[in-house]
Parts: sequence; structure tokens; C-alpha cells
Amino acid sequence: MISEENLIRKKGKEGKRGKVVDRLVRSAFAGVTYAIVLVALLLFGKIIKDGAPTLFTSEAPFINVSFLLDKNETLHVFDDEQGVRYKLPASEYSEFIKKNGEDSIYNHSSYSYSGGGIVGPIVGTLLLTIGSIMIALFFGVSAAIYLSEYAKESPFIHAVRLAILNLAGVPSIVFGLFGFSVFVLAVPVITADPSSRSLLTIPLFFGDYVMSFQGWNSSLMAGCATLACMILPVIITASEESLKAVPQGFRDASLALGATRWQTIRRCVLPYSMPGILTSSLLAITRVAGETAPIMFTAAVAAKDDLPWEGADGPLDVLSSQVQALPYHIYTLAARIPNSEYTQQAQYGSVFVFILLVAILSISSMVMRAKMRAKLKW
Amino acid sequence: MFFVIGSIVTISSHALSTLGLCCGAQFLDYPRRWCVSFHLPLDFMPTNSTPKAPSSFSRKGFSFDRVFKYFFASNAGLTIVILLLIIGFLLKEGLGFFPGYQRELQIYRITGMEYIDISRKNLTSHEQLTSVMNRAYFAEINGLADRELQRSTESSAMVSHIDDFTASARDQYFETIEDANPAPALIESAKQKYAALLPLAMKELPLTPHLSAAERQQIIDAMLARPIDNEDTPELVNQLASEYATVRAKFATPLEPMRASIDEFEALGADLSARVSEMSSKVQVIKAELNTADIIERDRKTLLAAADSAKTPEERARLMAEAQTAIGTVPDTATPLRELLSGNEAGQEMHRSMHEKISAWSNNVNVALTQPEAQRLYQVVGKTLPVFLNELSATPQALAAWDAEEPVKLGTAIFSFLTGKDWITGGEWQDFYGILPLFIGSLMIAVVALILAVPAGIGAAIYTNQFASEREQKIIKPVIEFIQAIPSVVLGFIGIFVLGNALRELSISSSLSWFPGFPMEERLNIFTAGCLLALMSIPTIFSLAEDAINNVPGVYSEASEALGASKLQTTFRVVVPAAFSGILAAILLGFGRVIGETMVVLLVAGNRIKIPDFSAGIGAFFQPAHTMTGIIAQELGEVPLGSVHYRALFVVGILLFTIVLGINALAHRFTRNMKH
Amino acid sequence: MNHAIQIENLCFSYDTKQALFDVNMDIPANEVTALIGPSGCGKSTLLRCINRINDRIPAARVTSGSVKIHGIDVMRRDIDLLQLRRHVGMVFQKYNPFAKTIFENVAYSSRIAGIKDKSVLADTVEKSLRDAALWEDVKDRLHESAFGLSGGQQQRLCIARAIANQPEILLMDEPCAALDPLATLKIEELIQDLKKKFTIVIVTHNMAQASRCSDKTAFMYLGKLIEFDDTMSIFSNPQEKQTEQYISGSFG
Repeated sequence: MISEENLIRKKGKEGKRGKVVDRLVRSAFAGVTYAIVLVALLLFGKIIKDGAPTLFTSEAPFINVSFLLDKNETLHVFDDEQGVRYKLPASEYSEFIKKNGEDSIYNHSSYSYSGGGIVGPIVGTLLLTIGSIMIALFFGVSAAIYLSEYAKESPFIHAVRLAILNLAGVPSIVFGLFGFSVFVLAVPVITADPSSRSLLTIPLFFGDYVMSFQGWNSSLMAGCATLACMILPVIITASEESLKAVPQGFRDASLALGATRWQTIRRCVLPYSMPGILTSSLLAITRVAGETAPIMFTAAVAAKDDLPWEGADGPLDVLSSQVQALPYHIYTLAARIPNSEYTQQAQYGSVFVFILLVAILSISSMVMRAKMRAKLKW
Repeated sequence: MFFVIGSIVTISSHALSTLGLCCGAQFLDYPRRWCVSFHLPLDFMPTNSTPKAPSSFSRKGFSFDRVFKYFFASNAGLTIVILLLIIGFLLKEGLGFFPGYQRELQIYRITGMEYIDISRKNLTSHEQLTSVMNRAYFAEINGLADRELQRSTESSAMVSHIDDFTASARDQYFETIEDANPAPALIESAKQKYAALLPLAMKELPLTPHLSAAERQQIIDAMLARPIDNEDTPELVNQLASEYATVRAKFATPLEPMRASIDEFEALGADLSARVSEMSSKVQVIKAELNTADIIERDRKTLLAAADSAKTPEERARLMAEAQTAIGTVPDTATPLRELLSGNEAGQEMHRSMHEKISAWSNNVNVALTQPEAQRLYQVVGKTLPVFLNELSATPQALAAWDAEEPVKLGTAIFSFLTGKDWITGGEWQDFYGILPLFIGSLMIAVVALILAVPAGIGAAIYTNQFASEREQKIIKPVIEFIQAIPSVVLGFIGIFVLGNALRELSISSSLSWFPGFPMEERLNIFTAGCLLALMSIPTIFSLAEDAINNVPGVYSEASEALGASKLQTTFRVVVPAAFSGILAAILLGFGRVIGETMVVLLVAGNRIKIPDFSAGIGAFFQPAHTMTGIIAQELGEVPLGSVHYRALFVVGILLFTIVLGINALAHRFTRNMKH
Repeated sequence: MNHAIQIENLCFSYDTKQALFDVNMDIPANEVTALIGPSGCGKSTLLRCINRINDRIPAARVTSGSVKIHGIDVMRRDIDLLQLRRHVGMVFQKYNPFAKTIFENVAYSSRIAGIKDKSVLADTVEKSLRDAALWEDVKDRLHESAFGLSGGQQQRLCIARAIANQPEILLMDEPCAALDPLATLKIEELIQDLKKKFTIVIVTHNMAQASRCSDKTAFMYLGKLIEFDDTMSIFSNPQEKQTEQYISGSFG
């Protein structure tokens, strides 16, 4: 029955109880959510607090350029005759000795990987990332074009989609195993001098050269290929989404005017989906830059004296050399060397630079995504 | 072989498909063109090809459009190729493990090592029991002498802290003094540095709750007054140390019987220990010889194969000759084995007598303990001793029944891999490859991570989607998604230096000592790793669950509210149940992600390859462990290519791959259900 | 005559766009009142004001006027919305049973009112399903998913769900829009049965349906109530020119 009593909200305890429960439940859930947010912010805060001093200095140009541009060296800590404490990277240390002689060193201790800068890892990561993204974009966008523009329901398409789904779920260490056993040990190489563990050698027509399935060894090439395979499903899915977001009307209009499929794709679909593809490749870059397991055995090395292009005979030499990488560098600093106050600086500094890089890329991708959504309103 | 097939497929799918299928498709068009050329009406011909737009190549029966189509198709097929390659190469490298392990187990058996290990097992249990009893003994004494112990420890801690702080100055001083011509300037500067450091050291002294203020000050004064070349500890500290020693001795006196019985127990194992070491050293020689023989045989086979494919007869002859010389003698394992087994009767008798003596010993033991830790440990002894005695009594039978001739089947190798409790590699004795400790490690870490992440992630998803305002959503979502961008190495790094220390500090605080497993012995353990992995998987679970809840049609909540349900009721009775399969998929995918994570567990889980001790209950989660992913990352760089160890790692990879793929398949089945 | 709902000078806006202009209507109890009019005329908006389901839309609000149900103005701020909606049931255009079993769908409103007794729930469910003429069809599969029913059956299930609480008033927003003619017929028969117990207000764009089912009809156009009278009179002898034009099909 509808009556005043039924419909008017009750004041006092009866009505309050339901409200209290309501408030409690909501607060509980809000609490959980904000706890996560808090933990995340604390994490960033800690990294920034401990890492920023290494990267930023109080005088112009406000960035510790030497940290970013110097090669990684062993740190030597010692006192001189006056008791002044020195912390010098290996190159400056040897200069000091040359100038002042061996006797002037007291209380010497050395810390590997903790001195100098991180240009080697930064360069290595950049090379690995750019290489793998280029490969993955080429194959991935092509595959996405097929899936979204040409495909009809067939066992082949079913198999491809299944493969993409499964590839996306493979753990990164298994990709490491895959990259190691395929790209490092088994892919074909054209050489005059095949190694004894080659799987198969096929003699070629000119000179002594054979195609030997012996792998590319641990190298930039192998690392890029492994990372490209890992990131391929992500790129395909994201590209397909961007392509599908282009309204069907564009394609229909173009085809109705007599254009071929490829012309339609090239002129009416790809240009509009490119921003979306590029945005998602930024996110893919973030992921690739941060992966350690796939490159541990296929490309990365902990210590390297020269940058990849120093002392190389040509592009092939650069591609077949090992590289340092930022995540692997952090792993070395965290796990492979004993901890001390001197290593902490290098550790937090590297982590901070890494996070900064990742943050810049993520934020730019988010900004790009928002801008793009605003621009393409159809 | 797999790669050859793979590369041929890739190349051909790019080339053949674009050319061959092009032409094939063109062939279908001939009937129409034939009709046209004869001006025949087309209506009786099947028009299965649409008229193509005029293009410069179409007259030649060739269209670039088709080329592009097949090019793209072959790129799509690349994903299938990669997946097949992964499976193929994992299997190629990994399946060779089982025959290799089988051979190793065979060597293990025919050299008699297995026989020795039967006895060694008892020895290890005996040693462990002794150690636990000792721990109980010391726990009792230290518990009773707790106050004196604390006072002594704290005072020494103060001294060590000051010493460490001023170490640089003092080291400099002593180094300079040792020089033939010490520079006075250096000595002076060392002294000055020391004088400057001392007061600073006083500022950060550790807390000393068990010392009175006066005592603390006494030590501080003594240290301040101490010159740089003096390394003596202050008098009070020595006094406290001797007080502790006195009290210890005092409490040790009534425990004399316990001490004596523990020592007696330990002594009962001496005979067995001697016998085992003696047998071991003999057997290791044989094993080394067998391994060498295997290598020589393998080389010989390689040489023969090379000879077969030799290009010239001279080379073939040369290789054959080399192969001949490489025939090593098969070492004689029978004789040493007989020698070993000649002591079998004696060995069995030794075990029997050990069993008798220990049983007698256990009947005479009577210990009253007052400290809780000691009591707990003693309880553990109480539980393990009967088990040990049982094993001991069964041993003579096992020794008698052991047969060196029994062949090791392939199934045994597989079985012992899947259920083996030890993963021991690179040791001097025998390598064992048992996946159980790694599997359990992975599982336990995943469980901890999910227990933390699932309520958090799903709770946050429900809140963000149902209760939060637009403004709140704009903050919450990006922050949580940004966590996903943090590389796992960085999280592992944070885990070691921040979380590990923080959790350990927390566990040491005496207010939480009732919690099982506290204080934590290691700061890098399952729980720490689980916390970090929870943080990593929360964004995954959050976004998938939030998507699922978002996809619930708005009409459900509209209908529910029209029926008079409150927001809370609508959310929990209608919306969340409707999104259930999507939420389940989110949890499963989070689980898959956690099991497959490598770097965090490698850095933070403690890397101890042993099944955690479940007798500690929940405390098992605070012990270090190793994982399937971690072991691959840790060991792959150090194993020789093609060795059994190398292949074992690939088998672990196969297992990992299968598990994660299975979980993902299940999750996708649920997602499909959601989109009905 | 007993008026169940009295709408006085009701003005309603979505954000800045006004949707209802000064609507005055007295809806009688235990009769079927139909709201007809072309798309966008505000009939659904008016209906949704009665149980204040428009409150879900953030920018929508009543700018002036009142809706009185049994003399109580439901626009008051201290109205208990949950109770209001238990007394005023609603059936939507597209049938929307919950992703639960048939039983649980109908038992939902009892459960949220706190009733846990299984026998009470079972009785309520049976009564509602009988009243909605669905009992015979589903009595053997009460615990199967609601999605296994046909479109017409699902809409009747939604009706059963809405009347489970025995509301005084039943609001129906184009209930047959998504159904085939046979199912529509069944629902229209059902409405005739239900009006014995409930006051029914039905929005429909199908004039024939309005003339078949309702006792009184209101014609609305562009947010204003143009004419409100007995159905017979509206359809045979409309007073307003616009009403006549609409009924004869000149616009729509």
C-alpha cells in the first residue's frame, strides 16, 4: 500500500542502518582501490627520491650528462696522502696513477659496474628496441591488414588467430629459450667456414660459400629477431583494432568507385589507421625496452668496452656484436655484484633513467591516443 | 631439421603463394575469357569471378593486387610458423633429455652410487636430527639467559657500529703506520678524521633497550675516550660478555644430561659416516672413468659420420684411422661393484645395530624444556625421530634387495623428473633433475600473489566501474595501468632493496613474534616475491575485470533499479554475477602471467632449490624457494650446449609453456562465454 | 473516481533542453492509460518520471510541478526511492531478464526486500508467474536460464518480475516493440487481466494497440499534452486538430 509511512524516508536508526552498511561497503572498496594507487605512487616516489640525485645536478645544465653519456666502468675508491677520499671511474683512476704514482693510493677498493655512466646500456637498448619494432611492424601490420581487410572465415584464419592468441601468452623466458635455440644456434648464415656444430650445410653456387644452419650467435640480430617475435602478437592485435576502427563506409565508397583492394587499403584505410598503429607501437616499445629474459641469452652482455659502432668493420659487424642493455644492466647491478653505498648510486640512477624513459614513452602514447581520438571523430 | 622445414615453409609461403596461387587463380578465369573472345553469351557460364578494375597488368593475366593479397596472407601465416617453431625447437632440444638422464641414472646404478645413497640418506637424516636437537639445546639456554644475551649483544653492537663508522680513518692509520716511512701528515689527517667521525657515529647508535641509560652512557664515554690506535673493547662490554658466559654456564649445568645425550646421539652415526665416505671416494673414480668412456665413444661416432661424408678417399681413410684409435676400453665396473657389495652384509648389520642403539637411546631420553622455541623444536624432533627409525629399520632390506643389474627404463627417467624432490646440478656426486621443488616454488609464489592480487584487483575494478566518479576514474585508471609499464627487473630491484628489508624489519619486531614464520630468516623469500608479483598482476586483473563489468549491458542495472534495488544491491546481485565469466578469465590470465614471470622471482625469491618445510605451517611461505622460470634464467648461461643439464632446462621450458598455454586457453573459453 | 496518479504542471529538462512543458494529467486507478505520440514527444520521459528512473541520468531534472501518487508528491527530496520503486513497477521496451534462472529473476525483488524464506519465495514466484500467464510454460524449468525462453516469454518474465512485489502501479514502456504479432497479442491479453489488480500506464507508438488495450489515452506532441480522454473518444472523435492529424496518419 502506498502511504506516507511507506514512502517517506525514515529518519532515525532504521533508515540509518542501511546507510551505514552502504557507506562501509563503499569505503572498503574505495580503500582497496586507493591502497593500490598509494603503493604505486610510493614506488615511483622511492625511485625518484633515490635515483634523481644521480641524474640531476644542481647546476646547469641540470642533468648529469656524464652519467648518460659515459661508458660503464669500474669504480675505484681510495684516499690520497691528505686523506681526501676519491671516487674515480677506471679511466680517470689510471690517469691519476700515471700522474701521481702507485704510492699515493691508500685504502683502495674497487666496485665493478658502479662507475662511469650508462651510455652503453642506453645505446644497446635503443638499438634492440628500434630493430625489433621495425621488424615487428613490417610483419605485424601486413598480417593485420590481411586479417582485417582480406580475411574470410576459413581454417587458415582460424589457425592464425589461434596462433596469435597463444603467442601472446607465451612466457618471456620461453621466448628466451626459443631465441637461443633458433636464432643463436640454428638460423642460416652464408659463410665460407661453417662451424662444426652446424645443423645442415647447403653449398652455394659461388666460390666456397655455403649456407650453414649454425645460427647468428649471441648478437644484436638475434636479440632483435627474438624480441620481434615476442612483440608480434601485440602489434598485430593493436594494428587490427586500428584498421577495424576505420569506418566501413570509407572502403565501400572507394571500391564502389572502381579502386582495387590494395589501392583502397593504401589510400583510404592505412593513412587513417596509422596514428593508432603508431600509438600502439609506442606501448610495444615500452614493453620491449623492459624485457630482460629474451635478451639474456641472445644479445646481452654485462660488460663491453666499446659502443657497437666503435671498432666495427661495417654494418654487419655491428649487427653481429653483443650489446649491453639497460634492463640487463640493472639485473647485473642488483644481483650479480655485492651491495655497498657506492653501488647504490649506480643502481638507483640506472633504475631512475629507465623509469623515466618508460614514463616518457607511456605518457606520450597516452597523449597521442587522446589527441587522436579527439581528431578522428567519425 | 625443424628449422629447415620452417624456413622452407616461410620462404615458400612468400614466394610460391604470391606466384603460384596467382597463376592458379587466373586459370579459373579462362573459361570466361574464352567465351568473350568468341562472342558467346556469358549467361550459361558460371560467373564466379567478378570483373576486375582495369589495371595495366590485367591484360597479361597478372594482377599486383593478388600479389599483395598473398603477401599479406603469408605474413599472417608467419605467426603460425613462429608458434610451430617454438614448439618444434623446444621439443627438439628438450626431448633428448630423457634418454640422457636415463643413461645417467644407469651409470648411477651400475657404479653402485645408488647403493651408497641408500645409506647416505639415513646419514643425512641423522645429521639433520642432530642439528635440530642442538638448536633446541641452544634455544633453551639462550632463552633462559635471554636478558644477559641481549645486554651483551646490544653492547657489542654499539661497539661494532662505532668501529664500522670510524673504519676508514682507522684503516688509513694502520696502513700508514705499516709503511717503512710513514708520512706524519697522513697520520695527523687520520687522527683528525677519526676525531671528526666519532661524534657522528654516536648520533646513529643502535637502540639498547636492555641497557640502562647509565650503562649506555658508560660505553659511549669509553669509546669517545679511546684513541685511534686502541682496539680494545670497553670494560663494561667485556663485563657483560662474561656475565652472559657465566649465566650460560649456569643454565647449561642442569642441561648436562641433554648435552650428553645429544653428543651420544651424534656419536652413534660415526660408523655409518665413515663407511659412506670410504665407499664414495672409491666409486667416484669409477664414475669419472665411465664418463670419459662415454665421451670417447661419442667422438668416435662423430668421426665415423664425418668419414662417411668425406670428400676424398684419403680423408676418409684418415678419419677412419682416427676413429679406430679412439676406441677406448670400456671400464670394468663389475669388479669394483663386487668389492663394494662384499661389504653389504656388514653394512646391513651396521644399520641394524645403529637402529637398536638409537631406539635404546630414545627410550632413555628425558628432557624438560621451558622455552617455547626449544619446545617447538623438540616437538619437531619428536615427530621426525620415529620416521627416521622406520627408515633405518627398512634400510637393511633395501640394501639386500638392491640389484645393480636392474635396467633403468625410460619411464623411470620421466617419472623421476616429474616427481623428483631434488634438483642438484654441478655437484661432485650425482646430478638429479627433479621438477618438484621448482614447481612447488612457482605454485606457492603464484598462490601468494593471487591471494593478494585477486581481491585487490577485482575490488578496485568494481569500485572504479560502479562507484567512482568520472574524476576519480581519470586518476585511478592511468595510475594502475602505469604499473604495468614498470619493467619486471625494476620491480625485482625494488624488491631486494626496499621490500625485502622492510618486511624483514617488520618480522623482527617482537610484537609480531607470535606469527608463524616470523621472524623471517631470509629477506628474500616466497612471500616477498609473491607481494611483488601481486603488484605486477593487479593491472592485468584490474583492466580485464573492469572490461568485463563494463560490458554488462546497462539494461540490467536499469531493470534492477526499477525494481527498487539500491546501488549496492544492483552491483553485487546483478552486475558482478553477470560479469562472472569475464572476471574468472581475468583471474586466470593473471595466474598465467604470474607463473610465467622470470626476473622478479629470479631476484627476489631467494633461489634455494628445495621444497619448503611445510612442518612450519604458514611459515613455509616465508622461506626462500626457486621457480621454474628462475632456474632457466639462472642456469642456461652456464651449461654446456647439448648436455643433459642443458636439455633439462628445455624440458622445464616445455612444461612452463604447456601450463601457461593451458591456462590461457581456459581463460579464453570463459571470455567467449561472456560474449554470448 | 479514484485517481492513482496526479501529474500537475510538470516541467522536465535534460540539461538545458526542456522535454516536458506543463503537463497536467490525472491517471485513474485500475485502468489502462495509454500515452501515444510521435517519436520524441516526451511520452517515455513522462512515464519515467513517475518512478523517477530518470534520476539515473545525471543531467536530467524536474524543473517544476509535481507527480502525486495517492496524494504523495514523489518529487519530494525525502522520498525513499527504493520503496517508491517497489510500489511502482516498470517493464522496458527490450526485454531484459537478468543472467540468472527464471526462478531467481522473479524472486529478485523479494530477495532485495530481505525475504529469505524459501517457501515464501516459491509462493511469490508461482503467483507472479501465474499472473503473467507464464506459469504453465515454465513450471518445469524454473531453474534453467532465463535466456532459454522465446522473446515473448522473456517479456512476460519481465512482467512477472515487475509484479512480484505487488506494486500498485505498473509502467510499461513500449512493451511489445521487440515482439512478433503473436507474442504481442498474448501481452495485450495479459494487460487486460492485470488491470484488475494494477493501475497500468502504457507508452506505445502503435495506435492500434492503444485503441485495443487502453481505457484512457493521452496524446502528446513535442513535450506537451495535447489531448487526454477516454480511448473511444480520442479515436472516434478527437477534439484537437493535431490529435486528428496524428491518428489519421498525416504525420508520425
